[in-house]
Amino acid sequence: MLDEPYRWVEAIRNRREYLQDQLAGASPVVACRYADGLLLLTSTPGPRKIFEAYNQIAFAGVGHPADIEKLRKAVIDIAHLEAFNLSARDVSLQRLVNFGAGPLMKAAFDEIFRSPFIARIMVAELDPTDDHETFSTVDADGSFGAAQSTAVIAGSPEVTEMILAQLPDDDEPAPLEQALVTALRAWGVGRLRAEAGDDEFAEPTSAQISAAIDRALVSIRLEAGVLDRTMQRKTKFRLLDQATLTSAVDAVRGA
Amino acid sequence: MTDGGDGRSGVNPLTDGSDFLHLLREHGHAAVSTMSDAGPGALDPPTEGTTILAIRYRDGVLVAGDRRATAGNVIVYDRAAKVLSVDDRSVMALSGSPANAYEIARLLEISFQHYRRTQLQELSLDGRLRTLSRLLRDNLPMAMQGIGAVVPIYVTYEPESPRDGYAEGGKIFFYDVLGATFETVDFCTTGSGSPIIRGALYYQNRWEQPFAERDEESTLLLVLKMLETAAEFDTATGGFSPTAAIYPQVMRVTAQGISTIDEEILAATYRSANVAG
Repeated sequence: MLDEPYRWVEAIRNRREYLQDQLAGASPVVACRYADGLLLLTSTPGPRKIFEAYNQIAFAGVGHPADIEKLRKAVIDIAHLEAFNLSARDVSLQRLVNFGAGPLMKAAFDEIFRSPFIARIMVAELDPTDDHETFSTVDADGSFGAAQSTAVIAGSPEVTEMILAQLPDDDEPAPLEQALVTALRAWGVGRLRAEAGDDEFAEPTSAQISAAIDRALVSIRLEAGVLDRTMQRKTKFRLLDQATLTSAVDAVRGA
Repeated sequence: MTDGGDGRSGVNPLTDGSDFLHLLREHGHAAVSTMSDAGPGALDPPTEGTTILAIRYRDGVLVAGDRRATAGNVIVYDRAAKVLSVDDRSVMALSGSPANAYEIARLLEISFQHYRRTQLQELSLDGRLRTLSRLLRDNLPMAMQGIGAVVPIYVTYEPESPRDGYAEGGKIFFYDVLGATFETVDFCTTGSGSPIIRGALYYQNRWEQPFAERDEESTLLLVLKMLETAAEFDTATGGFSPTAAIYPQVMRVTAQGISTIDEEILAATYRSANVAG
């Protein structure tokens, strides 16, 4: 049946729609640079979504938790094999995405009779060789793109665009506390945009953003991680503690 | 990535994906070389010979090694690093064939990182000891042929673990070439120069000041004296060379993590005690 070109195209189209439906409710991952490194922020009802992949590389995903785990494991495996066969300095975001996660997700997407990865992922590298590849995002169909200062993975393109518009494209990134508040605020705007669906959407007020975050935090919790170049260890990744996140929520409420 | 069972992801849910050594074999990389078809004496004498020692003192453990690498009666290198950090709280000191020892240290470091990142928790102390033991067993054919034996000391600073019955503090483990693990309480020394100083270390600990009561300064002085003593009687152990500024390598493993004792401090200690007089 699928050897007919039309059927195959139709099957791929159905698959794309299926993935859009499955991922529509995903809580976004918001990423940006800050003065001492990179910040990634999201929310989750339980399972973690932001992880350390290698010394200077972080991984984040939205979608089905089991698929995020498979992709996370694959990226970590590739990174450590590279580190063993070559050196730690040869482990890069570009290789992990362009030759690893991207083709892996594309192959899964193309296999019509098997489930694709129901996930979108983001990989972030602290101080990469090429500044334009600080962040990389991979869609469920395996297509990927790189970004220098900010990146978002979300349930829909509209939410992604709305959040990106809230993030400054600064040459001089802000300190962590300030960047965290900006990212959280952008995440709140994204949540309002997702709630609006196809309805008309006007720029929300600070009170509306704060209320949206408060509503969300009833059933989910915030999660944030940084790649911090000031850390005196090989690994630059650390999760932010609850007190830091609570301070950011308070700052958004007070704005 | 290879097909790991689900046809696409390199992940096989039926085999635990936490084992980096398994992952290496799956991808066609031997964990350590086995070279089983080379007979004894097929190569020139291997590069080896060392004195390494670890002493548990009041604040943790000092781990030290001389810098000389030899092949037979030839000095190959006089600035070899024999104490390597494995992670943020443990180090491995190496005696034996440097090529295999460095490979084992590298594998150990990457294995622990891989486990922590995939499993989202630190590998237990028993798990770390077992991993090193497996690597030594994999190295057995090389050791049996007399060209690749590795006898490491593994030193770690562990937080208190009531579940495993550990108190907080420094721990010293040593291995034989077959991979058997032994824990020693106060000190450990291996390598060609170790028989020369083992009795002296015992004497110091038993009849002079116990090591566990010593501060870092006096422990460091003892370490340097012991390495000089080993170098005096063992040609494969390098001594302190003031003209070439070659100092032993000394690392401290404490609650604050791993750090190397600066050469300025070593030089001052040598001068103060006239160790290399």
